[in-house]
Formats: sequence, C-alpha cells, structure tokens
Amino acid sequence: MRPIAGLTDGAPPLVEPARKPLVNGPEFTSALEKAVDNVERAQQSADAQATKLATGGGNLHEVALALEKADITMRVAVKVRNKVVEAYQDVMRMNV
Amino acid sequence: MDFFAAFRVSASGLAAQRERVDIATGNLANAESTRGPDGQPYRRRDPVLEAVTFEDALAGAETPAVRVAEVVQDPTPGKRVYQPGHPDADAQGFVTYPNVDPVHEMVNLMSASRGYEANATSFETLKAMAQRALEIFR
Amino acid sequence: MRLFDATTATLERALDVRLTRQGVLAHNVANVDTPGFTPRDVNVTTQVQTAAAGGLGLDATQGAHLGAEGSSGSRPAVTTEEVPGARRLDGNAVDVDRVMATLAENAMQYSAAARTVSRKLAILRYVASDGNG
Repeated sequence: MRPIAGLTDGAPPLVEPARKPLVNGPEFTSALEKAVDNVERAQQSADAQATKLATGGGNLHEVALALEKADITMRVAVKVRNKVVEAYQDVMRMNV
Repeated sequence: MDFFAAFRVSASGLAAQRERVDIATGNLANAESTRGPDGQPYRRRDPVLEAVTFEDALAGAETPAVRVAEVVQDPTPGKRVYQPGHPDADAQGFVTYPNVDPVHEMVNLMSASRGYEANATSFETLKAMAQRALEIFR
Repeated sequence: MRLFDATTATLERALDVRLTRQGVLAHNVANVDTPGFTPRDVNVTTQVQTAAAGGLGLDATQGAHLGAEGSSGSRPAVTTEEVPGARRLDGNAVDVDRVMATLAENAMQYSAAARTVSRKLAILRYVASDGNG
C-alpha cells in the first residue's frame, strides 16, 4: 500500500511528476478492497468456528484464535478506513 | 432454566446428604444405648430419599430436587447378649442391644460424605458459570 | 445490514441449552442416592441445531418439555431425555463419575460460548464507535 506521507508535503503533488501521486486511484481502492476481503474472510471463519463450538464440537483454541484474528483484521481495516477518510479530508481542505 | 433454580437444586442435594450424615452419626453414637427415653433399646434410623422430577423442580419455586421424605425406624430386632448383671437384662438375663451395625453405618456415612462432596462441586461449578455470564456485562 | 447475525443467535441458544443442561446434571447429582431415580441429560447438538434451523415455537406438548423462560416466544423449550444405564440395588441409575465429568465439561463449554459471544459483540462495538472503543 502506498504511504500517505506525501500528503504532508507542501507542494501540490499533482504538478510535480517526481513526487509520489497524492491519490493513486487504483492503489487505494485495491488496498481497501483487500482489507475488506480479509475482514470478510476472517469474520466468516470466526463465525464457522463459533457455530461449531455452539453445537458441541470444535476445539477451544481454534475458536479462540479465529476470533482473535477476526478482531485484529477488523481493527486494522477500521484504522485503514480512518486514515483514508483523513487523507481525503486533508485533500479537500487544500486551497487549489 | 435460570441460575437460581439450578442453585436451589444443588442446595437441596447438599441438605439431603447432610441429613444422611446426621442420621448415620446418630446411629453410631447410639450403638450401645440399651435404654432410650421410652425404656426400649435404641432402634437405628434410616432416611427415605425422595426425588422430584426435573420439570417439577423448575416449576415449583419451593420444591427441592431431592428431600428426605421421612425417617423410618429399622424394625429388625437387635442382638441379644447374655449379661445377667446388666441393669437392662431381662428375666432370662439377656440384654437386647440396638440393631446398629457400625460397619453398615460407616458405609452409609462414607456414601453420604461422597454425595455431599459431589453436590458441593456441582454448586461451585454453577457459581463459576454464573460469574462467566456476568462477564458478558463488561 | 443485519447487526446481530445468525451466529450470535446460535451462540445465545447454546448458552440457554448449556445452562439448562447444567441444571439437569445438578438435579442428577442431587439425586445420586435416591432409590429408583433415573438420570436425565440434554443433547446439546440437536437442541442447538433445531433452534437454528428455524425456531421452534413454545412447544410444551410432551411431559419432558420444559417451559420457556420469557414470554417473547423466541426462546424455545429445551427437551431432556433419559439416560440409559445400569441400576444399582436400590434402583438408582446415576453414574456419579460420568455425571461429575459431564458437569465440568458442560460448564467449560458454557464459558467458552459466553466468551465467544462477548468477543463478537466487542468487535461490533469497536466498529460502531469508529475505532474509538
């Protein structure tokens, strides 16, 4: 994923080809899509484990780990989303 | 089912087993009592345990899961020992001793003790579960 | 978007079933020395699955059905069944060692389900608060 560090530089990045692009459309969206995919998969895996536990099967550490992973991927995705929104707002605040 | 009904079930088990212990120790204590308040030799006592079905135990707030329905006296005649000098000897010189067999009472005592421990463990397990449920609040 | 999904409902049902089962087991232990007593148990797998499959109503047509707590009608009854086993001389059929082991296991499964549903809700809470708690 492209770093968002380019936002804090003073010069308008769109003009200078030497700098990294501010909003690289395909990069951002694909990164976000991947994050969401991860979350979806982790949640489904956790749900499957939880259902197994509820019906009397499954093993405890598998369920615990699946839940933990789901929790972590969700937190990462939310943080990514927050950063993207922050970046967008920063851009919108700029005087063009 | 809720926790408090389950606690009552366990508690009634504890109470019933404790009563069994009390009755067994009472029998042991009176193993040599050749004369009771009624002038007769002591007769050993037996608890009669009675179960309540699980559905009834749930439905009735005060109905215990198990209880000692009654305490019966054992009608078996006691041993007769030839002791002519004994104050309770009869005309033939025989003394009738209580129908208490200490070995039998000890077996009952151990069974009741084990039963009490099992119910105590059951109660503790229920308590631990209740605490887990409370954690969902956090 | 459904906030509380089928898995959460299944876990809630599992908690109901496990708690009832604990009561049934406690009842067996209380009657470990009662003459003629037949122990009962709850089949967790079928009880959780039948509720998940589409919800039973408040069905209490048989003697073994327990009344459901709460009048909302969304908590179907949990059925118990008799446990076959050898009877002692006084007719009591409780296998105390097996019951005690099952008691411990069931309590642990209840804890696991409680913790699981707690964690699931915690994830939702995190998202709902935009990552701030």
